[in-house]
Formats: sequence, C-alpha cells, structure tokens
Amino acid sequence: MKKYQLGEFEEIVLLTVGVLYNEAYGVAIKAEIENRLKRKVSVGALQSALRRMEKKGYLDSREGEPTKKRGGKPKRFFTITAYGKEALKHSKDVRTQLWDAIPKVALDLKFT
Amino acid sequence: MIKRIADTLFRWYCHPEFYPDIKGDLEELYSDHLESGRNAQLKYFFDVALLFRPSLIRPIFKNSFIKDTGMLKNYFKISFRNLIKHKGYTAINVIGVAVGLAAFLLINQYIKFERSYDSLHQDSHTIYRLTTDQIVDGQIGIRDAMSFNPSGKVVTEEIPEVSAFTLTYNIGSVTVKKGESLINEESVKMGDEHFIDFFGHKVLSGDSKSMLKEPNSIVLTHSKARFYFGNGEAVGKTLHLYSGFDQDFKVTGVIEDVPLNTHFKFDFLISISTIQDRLDNEGWRAFNYYTYLRIDEGADIAVLEEKMIPIKNKHLSEESTLFFNLQPIEEIHLNGDMTFEPEPSGSKKSVNFLEIISIFILVIAWVNYINLSTAKAVDRAKEVGLRKVIGAGKKQLRIQFLVEALLINLIGALVALIIALGVSPYFNRLVDTPILDAVWKDGTFLAMLGGFALVGTLISGFYPAIFLSNFKIITVIKGKFRNSKSGIGLRKGLVVLQFATSIVLIACTLIVIQQVDYMRNKDMGMNIDHVVSFRNPRPVDGDFEAMRERVRAFQNTLLKSSYVKGLATTTSVPGGESDEIASTSGGVKIVGLTDRLDATTYIQTVDERYFNLLDIQLLDGRNFQKDLASDSSAVIVNQAFLDRFSLSESNVLNEKIQFGRDPENDKYHIIGVIEDVNRTTLKRSTEPTCYFHGPVLHRSVVKLEPQNIQEGLEHIQETWAEMFPTSTFEYTFIDERFDRLYKEDRRFGSVFSIFSGFALLVAVLGLFGLISFIASQRTKEVGVRKVLGASEAHIVSLFYREFLVLIGVATVIGVPVVFFGMNSWLSNYAYRIDFPWLVILIALMVVVICSLVTVSARVLKVASLNPVNTLKYE
Repeated sequence: MKKYQLGEFEEIVLLTVGVLYNEAYGVAIKAEIENRLKRKVSVGALQSALRRMEKKGYLDSREGEPTKKRGGKPKRFFTITAYGKEALKHSKDVRTQLWDAIPKVALDLKFT
Repeated sequence: MIKRIADTLFRWYCHPEFYPDIKGDLEELYSDHLESGRNAQLKYFFDVALLFRPSLIRPIFKNSFIKDTGMLKNYFKISFRNLIKHKGYTAINVIGVAVGLAAFLLINQYIKFERSYDSLHQDSHTIYRLTTDQIVDGQIGIRDAMSFNPSGKVVTEEIPEVSAFTLTYNIGSVTVKKGESLINEESVKMGDEHFIDFFGHKVLSGDSKSMLKEPNSIVLTHSKARFYFGNGEAVGKTLHLYSGFDQDFKVTGVIEDVPLNTHFKFDFLISISTIQDRLDNEGWRAFNYYTYLRIDEGADIAVLEEKMIPIKNKHLSEESTLFFNLQPIEEIHLNGDMTFEPEPSGSKKSVNFLEIISIFILVIAWVNYINLSTAKAVDRAKEVGLRKVIGAGKKQLRIQFLVEALLINLIGALVALIIALGVSPYFNRLVDTPILDAVWKDGTFLAMLGGFALVGTLISGFYPAIFLSNFKIITVIKGKFRNSKSGIGLRKGLVVLQFATSIVLIACTLIVIQQVDYMRNKDMGMNIDHVVSFRNPRPVDGDFEAMRERVRAFQNTLLKSSYVKGLATTTSVPGGESDEIASTSGGVKIVGLTDRLDATTYIQTVDERYFNLLDIQLLDGRNFQKDLASDSSAVIVNQAFLDRFSLSESNVLNEKIQFGRDPENDKYHIIGVIEDVNRTTLKRSTEPTCYFHGPVLHRSVVKLEPQNIQEGLEHIQETWAEMFPTSTFEYTFIDERFDRLYKEDRRFGSVFSIFSGFALLVAVLGLFGLISFIASQRTKEVGVRKVLGASEAHIVSLFYREFLVLIGVATVIGVPVVFFGMNSWLSNYAYRIDFPWLVILIALMVVVICSLVTVSARVLKVASLNPVNTLKYE
C-alpha cells in the first residue's frame, strides 16, 4: 500500500490525463474534471497536483507550441508514465479487493 | 488593473520553471472568462491567490542562513529550553514586555482617536472654519469660534480661492414629542442646504441637495430615525418640536450617525432657513454662527486672511476690531484657545504628554529585557564559551540570542493582546468614549502589535546579542569571567532611567490630580451646594408676557413648599460652557472716567433674587430692586470688569457705562459691584461681566433644603408636569455642571494615573529581576562577609545603599523634568496650584519604598543563607 502514494484528487487528475490522452494540458484537464465530476477545480490545486505527480514519476510532460490566446506562452502536455499506470492499477485493485471483501448482507441490508 | 497586480505577484512568487505554462493556462482561462461573463479579473486574481502553494512557489531564501532549517530549528529549541528552564526570568520579561506593549498600544489608540478629530469629512484638509478675532493694536484679544451669518456667503463670492461654504447654528437641546411622551434631544444643530454635501455626510434617504432647503425641515441621524420611527421610512413624516418652535417639522432626510470624532456632533439637523427672519435681522450685527469654508488646495491662508480685511472693512467698519480668521477644521478639537466652541475641546498638550508616557513605558519594558539578559550573562557565559569551542561563529551566537528575544517578544505580544482585550471595556469607560471595540478585529492595532514586537526584538535583543557573543573563550572557560565593568555601568544607567521615569510619572499624576481637585473644590465666590438648575419653558409664538406669568405662578407654587429654600432666574447658569453666556465685543467705557476699551464684555441678566440665592457678596452699592423702574437701566459689574480698567480701588457707583462707539448709545448707571465669581471652568480667568436686571428669565436656579433634596426634586417635577405639560423637565445640579466642565481634565488624570501605575509596575519587575541576579552572583561574597562576622542587617544595607544611590541620581534627572513639564501644563489654567514640591517627595517615597521592598524580598533570602552552603565548593 505504501508503495504507490496516490491521493483521491491525484487519482482523478491522473485518470483524466489518461482520458485526454495526448491533449492533456492544464486548462483541458480542469475543464474535463469540472465537466465530468461537476466540481470546481482551482488552477492552483490542479497545478500543484500535476507537479507533485511529475516529481513522483507518475507523469511525464512535454512542451507544446506557444499560442496568442495564451499570451505567447506554450502549453505543457502531460502523459501517464508506466509507473503512473501501475499506481492507478494498484489503486483500482485495492478498491476491487475491498469491494469484494464486503459481505453482501452489509450492502443489501436496508434499515427501515 | 487587478490582473496586472496579480500578474506581477504571480511572476514574483511562482517557481520559474513552472511559470511559462501555468501563466499560459491562466491567460487562456482569462480569455474564456472574458467571453463568458463578468469578473474575469477577479477570477484571475483568485486563481493566482490559490496558486500560492509550497509545491509551486519559487524556492525561498536560496542563499540565506534560514535555508539551514536544521540550525533554525535548533535555535528555537535551545531558546525554548532556556526560557522554560528559567521560568521566573521568562515570566518577568514576558510580563514586562506585555504590559509595556499593551499600555503603549492602548494609549496610542486614544491618541489616534484624539488626533483623528474631523479627519473623516470629505477632503477634510481643505475645510476651514471662519472664526472671529478681536485684535486691538496688533494684540489678539478674545478669539471667538463663531462668525457673522452673511460672512460665509460674502467671502465665498469675493475670494476665488474659497469654493464653498456652509452656515450652521448650535441650538443645543430641544424638546420633542414622541407619541404621548416628551423627549429631550440634547444635540440639535442647524445647517443650510449646502451642509450635507459640504461635509460629505452619507445620506441614507432623501435628497442631499434639497433636504435642508425648506424652512421647518429636519434631518435625522440613522439611530434617531429608528428611535422615532422604528424600521419604517422616516422621510416625509413629521416631528413636533417644542422649545420655542412648537410646530411640526418635516423629516426630509436620514443620514448616517455622526462619528464620535468630530467637534460638530448632532442628532438632529434643522434647516437654518427656519430662522431666516432672525438671520436677516441680525445681519452684520451679531456673530453667533459657525461658518465652514472649503478652500482650494495650496492656497496661502495668510494671504486669504489679508484679503478678508477689506471685506470686514466694508461690512463692519474700518474701526472695527473684529477680524476674520481661518482655522483648519482638523485643528479645532485639540486647540482650546477659542471661546464659544460647540463642545469642550481637547488639549494638545495632554495628548502630547500621553504620547511621551506611552513611549517611556515601552522603552522601560525594553530596557528591562536588556538589563536582565545582560545581567544573566554570567549564567550564559559558559554556554557561549563552549559553543565557541565547538565552532560557533559570532553570527550564529547572535542569532541564537536574537531568537530568544524574538520568542519573549512574541509571547509578550500575545499576552499584550489578551490584556488589551480584557482591559478595553474599562479603558472605554475611563476615557468615556467607546474608542476601542474588539481590538482583535482592528487591523492596525494587530499590525502595530506585531510590528512593535519585531522592532522590540531588534532593539532589546541587539545589545545583549552583541554583548554575549563577544565573550573571549579563554576567560570564560577558565571560569574567571565575572561581569565586565562597562556592562555594570550600562545596567546602572538603565536602572536610573527607569527610576527617573517612574518618579516623573508619579509626580505628574499627582500634580494633575491635585490641580483637578483644586478646581473642583476652589471657593468660587458663591455657594452652589444643593442648587438645581433648569431651563424654563420657552414662550409659544414669542408671547413672553404669558410665559412670564406662568413661570411666576410656577415659582409661587414652589416657594410654598418647605423643601425649597429659594429660587431665582438668570440667563446663564454657573458651570456652563464658554458659549452659555452673552457677550459684546463692540467696546465699552465708563463715561467720563475711562477711554473706550475694545475687549469682550460678558453680559448676564439676572433677577433681584439671584445674588442672594447663590450667596454672592456685594462689595459696594446695592442689589437690584424688584419694583424700581430705574433699575431697568441699572447695571452691577464684577471686580474683574473694574480690574480691566484698573479701577478696582475707586468708587464707581452711579458712574455710567456705555457700550459701542456711538455716543448716542444707551448709558447704564452702576449701582453695585460684586466680587468675582467663576461662571465657567477655572481654566479661564473670571469673565469681566455686566449684570443687568430682568424680572423672569429663561433659566431657573432653585436652592433645595439639604435634608430633603429628593423630595424637593420630586415636588418640582410634579409641579412642572402639572403646569407645563408640553415641556420636559431636565435639571442638573450646579456642582454637577462644574464637574462636567472638568471631565476632560479628570479623564486625563485617570488615564495618566493608570499608565504611570503600569510604568511603575514594569520598572519594579525589572528591578526585581535585576536584584535577583545580582544577589545570586554575590552569594559567595555574602558568605565570606558572614563568616567574617557581618550581620544580616549590615549585608542588606549594603545592597540598599547601592540602589539608593541610583535613585538619588534618578531624582536629580527627574525633578527638573517634572518641574518644567508640569509648570508648562499648569500654565494652561487661569487658576492653578503652585508647583507642589511635596509631590516630588511623595513620588520619591513611593519609588524608594517600592524598590526597597523589592530589593529586600530577594536580598533577605541571600543574606540569611548559611555560609556553609554557599562556600562549600570554594
């Protein structure tokens, strides 16, 4: 468990980067998360998560072309590394295991 | 604009590696927001603010020592251990710093409040009050805060630099009908239609331009509007006002409550056009109004005053000794040399005094720290030596000691905040104004607290840090280190400073208290005990005769009661503000005896019972007589009036007094001379006054039977309610009126005394700390002395002697300060105490006793130790 450290928000960001595949840069990720999860994401939270995961090695990044809309600044595209993929998979496995371990009755029992 | 600020901010703190692409993202989002809606800039700013995170910001302190967080942690750890190890020492330091800071900041809040008077008006630095000076032969005589009613308009029209004016009048109190009950409104003023916009009062309801235009319009402050009309709309409703009006006034506006820090306070503002007839009548003959002018920025006031001389010549006359003067509105409150102010002014000197005290208290607290930490040097010397041996540089040692000072100051600041929170309600009551509300919400207060904690760290930590880090390794480690000579000299100097300050503060406090007591108890030439005063109802529709009859009937009923010893009527009741008496500045002479004297003469009209009621002695001549027709042109003068003509010794009975320049003016024959009585505060010398006779005047003074004051009051109240159902009965005892005049002085006295108490406390704390260390250092010496046969008493006296010498030096420094400072303060008062030398002695005694008790507490302990224990290891 200690092997892959992945917070809930980090996981979402990581997954979204995966969803967007080659087009994953700041604004796009933010929009995607906001769209799918219906929650507000601040640039600060997102960027710090991205940088953190890049440092951990879950993400890789490359620079794109500068555009005028961006005030002449380049985009930074993120891609998941193999290590990142493993982390995601690990996190999913853990969850599946946990789901499976729940006795059926605990979920189906209804309180009236 | 916001975006640009945010950008700069972002570029400054963002990690340079991340900057380009995050900035790109921000730009993209910004342009999206721009298309989709409002507040793009604000959103941008929020995004930037939220980007301030440890993982994204530029690495700080790249090349600084603080980067060395290990060492930094260590500094704090060691400091904490040190503070905890020496709990007593820490407590003394923290309490000292806390009390010092709290006192300093509280006083400064008060000072700030006093200095902030009238700075809240719109562009207040361009507002001036038009006042009137009497200048005779180039000498300024009486300075009057009021002006002629047409003068504002004329000056604005004729002098281009004056861009606007507003004319106001102070009514004072007015009785208002609320439902079936009567309310006495004490703060009622009048203003013209420019008033609201001129001062920039915030209008909550109504039109600022027109609300004071029509006669019988009234503007209420928010709280008064709520009081009279609840939460409903007040504008358009009417209020019925008595007190000379007895008519309905239309509420035309509601404005925000007037702040406390203005000299022109009001709850009700009535349109001055209501008394237009009177304004037109008086014209250039009377100055009873406050005029405010707005003057272009940068205009030379002296030049403007020159320009006003021709205006004065045109409208008054060439010979008139009255000149127009401009006074910045912000200076009104702390400038007490004008008569007829709308409210008693503060005192610049007192405020400056307090500021000096506050600085002293703070300095004493810091000095304590310096004193204690250098005294403790011996304890720390080995530590310093060892650290140096291991390889600590001076810089590191200094930082270590500074961190300790920082911790003490920060904890002190925290405690100071708690003290300030706890004390602020008492402080508000002390200064009688809610100056402090919730200091923890007051940004400037917190900033000051933090700022002074840091400044204090540097000031108080710097010297000990240098001093302690300079120890030589060899001497220290060898154990030969005692205390350097220079260190002792400095510490003694600082203690002297503390003692001197304490002596000065205590002496000043006592002098202030004595002066106030003196004024309250001085024989004023009359007996005002158990005398109650009130305003008679104002006549309705100017029918004075009818009202007079009713007042007479009222008086007769009162006099039947055994509770009432006597009564009289007058135009001004003793104990009033400077504006509660009439005056003339048109010059006065005693026909055939003197030349015309251009000076203000005060005029009071009284009935024939007045002097007897207040036990005012006639020095010469006779009192007015009730039914003597010739007494309508008779006048009684006071001693001060004659003194001004240097006629105090001569017989002036039956001489004639004439006012003004015109030889045809009425002449009044003098029938009596009374001794001087003080009508108003003893800050002013007795007003040269002429007393005229009138049958029933608009204020009553009633002397009650001392045993039955309460019953007497109730009796008056009942009779009043029966006979004057449309007026409220508002009474004050004359001695209370005098007390009220000294409110400002008493406030100053109590603020002063409390804070000198604080200063003494801090100084004693410091002394206690110091003596503790000196005593512990000298334990061996004491042991040796005891072995050789010294008695405990002898040892204690050795320590005493040392401190008494210091106190002696402090006295030499302190006494001249007290003498010159307080003599200059006392010179504000026309009636003042002589410089009380006894007070110096008392102050000295207090300091000596406090310090001897402090010293004894420690020294006795050391002196009683068994030498066997103290010398065991030698």
